[in-house]
Amino acid sequence: MSALDHPQVESSLEGFLKKVRPRLKTLFAHYRIPPQDTEDILQQALLALIYHREGVRDPEAWLLGTLRNKCLLYWREQRRRLYDAVDAAVLEFMAEPLEPAQESADLQRDLINALERLPERCRSLLSLRYRQGYDPPELAQRLGYSPASISKITTRCLAALTRNLLALGKKKGGA
Amino acid sequence: MTVPHPNPEALERFVLGQLSPAEMREIARHLLTGCPGCQEVTAGLWEPEDVFEDPQTLTLPAEEEYDEVLDRVFENVVATEARVEHQRALGRKLYDELMQCPAERRQLLLTNSRRFRNRMLCERLVEESYEAGFEDPRLAIEVAHLAVLAADRLEAGDCDGEEILTGLRAKAWAHLGNAYRINSDLASSEQAYAVTESLLSESRIPLIERARVLSLLASGRKAQQRFAEALQIFDRAAAIYKKLGQWNLLGRTFLQKALVCDEAGDDEEEMKFLRRALDLIDPQSDPRIFLAARHNLIHALYERGRVREAFALLYNTRPLYLKAGDRMNLLRLRWLEGLVAFGLQRIDQAEAALREVREAFVDLGLGYDAALASLDLASVYILQGRTADVRRVAEETLTIFQSHNTHREALAALLVFSSAARLDRAGIDLVREVSSFLKRARNNPELRFSAVS
Repeated sequence: MSALDHPQVESSLEGFLKKVRPRLKTLFAHYRIPPQDTEDILQQALLALIYHREGVRDPEAWLLGTLRNKCLLYWREQRRRLYDAVDAAVLEFMAEPLEPAQESADLQRDLINALERLPERCRSLLSLRYRQGYDPPELAQRLGYSPASISKITTRCLAALTRNLLALGKKKGGA
Repeated sequence: MTVPHPNPEALERFVLGQLSPAEMREIARHLLTGCPGCQEVTAGLWEPEDVFEDPQTLTLPAEEEYDEVLDRVFENVVATEARVEHQRALGRKLYDELMQCPAERRQLLLTNSRRFRNRMLCERLVEESYEAGFEDPRLAIEVAHLAVLAADRLEAGDCDGEEILTGLRAKAWAHLGNAYRINSDLASSEQAYAVTESLLSESRIPLIERARVLSLLASGRKAQQRFAEALQIFDRAAAIYKKLGQWNLLGRTFLQKALVCDEAGDDEEEMKFLRRALDLIDPQSDPRIFLAARHNLIHALYERGRVREAFALLYNTRPLYLKAGDRMNLLRLRWLEGLVAFGLQRIDQAEAALREVREAFVDLGLGYDAALASLDLASVYILQGRTADVRRVAEETLTIFQSHNTHREALAALLVFSSAARLDRAGIDLVREVSSFLKRARNNPELRFSAVS
């Protein structure tokens, strides 16, 4: 692209918004952002654009690039919330005594089955976490990870467990 | 164990994390059984990121569903535009007011006055620090310090959220690091960059701010001669600019990469990046950056002995220097004119230009640049066999340098040159060697000088 190809900046904000409207709708639909969650994402991006308007040469490309990134962050955040919820749920099950004994045995069996389907590294980590009650510093020490990286590794393993519970990958792999 | 199947709506809200903890727990327990029916539903609700690349595989929400939200947001944003303009004007006014005060009062105002707790003032200080780097490098440090102070006083509510506030803080610290770098104070620069890096790694900040901060950090790494690291960081910034379609900023990043290649001695890559930069930078809207790229290309051509090409390009670029009009750019033009004239054996022109440049740097208190210009001037005298002038320049250079700099190894190199001049033994090769050492050692106090010539 040559410097001469730089797009002209729309002079009024209203004109700019009218022009980008169809592309915004396509983008949000493409990233499957629920309409009710779109408001904050779009509002933040447009406000940032207004504040940075003087420094932004191609506002449309800037806005779409920023929104794409925000959409991906939205899903990352949603996922993290879900991983945390699954983690909290399993920790709670394991902590409280279940009656009758059959129920406890069922839970143990289901958990073992779920963990069995994970890669070895995650299997070890989550077994120690759920069945032995190890906290992150103990996990790091026991498995030889640095204390700084154990949180990231745990999140990855929780992601693997959650994906497994939701049968993600099944659809793509055709299993 | 028989656990009731959640309905599809509950499963969807589970996936979106919209249920109460107790409900989340109940569904998680059910899914732990590996229920194939429910997994069939959830598998379609939660797609991995790479599926976004292939929208045909998904059932997308209807675009009309977004109309209501878009109407609401657009209305709100249009109403906000006027408010932002007002704040911007207020930021400018506060900046003028602040800078009219004595230096010691500026900090007091920023610390104690509620009126000066203003996002746009902070943005303005950041920009002004950057601008001052071209005209008055010492002022750049002072203004960047004020920007840091202003950013530290701001709260999330002043900036439409934590993300923007952190971005502003990172940017203020990065500019402080940059200001110190320009003034060759690498220790202070590194301290400021360390704060910047911790803000970058600990928090989320807007993409455009991240790219800008990364560029400044990479310039810091270049100054520390950590070239591979600098190139990697510039690549991260370049990736963001590509993602945001900001081609002019991408061009600017290529220009900075060219500088790294120059210092690393990779001539071929330097020329390549300079030409790519010139292709992307718009001379109308970014005249100063375009000029910097041209200037560097002319210098690179001169350094590689392609003096006629350098002369032709300099002739075409001269109006841009004059249009820029600031003192540092005019000095750079004059310096380059002196060098190119020297390369073309136009000795009188070269001498006049280099003397002028040297005196201007002395006036500005930029002893390091004055020493470099002096060495170029000494080359002119050596070529003419004017040994008395070489001796005089060598002595004067030493005095100027000592009064402005504490760089021991650079001083040692200048002492070698001065001693040789006193004995009428300073040749072109020695001058080149000392000059090249001074350029490399400027940002690397650890470098040791040992003369070969």
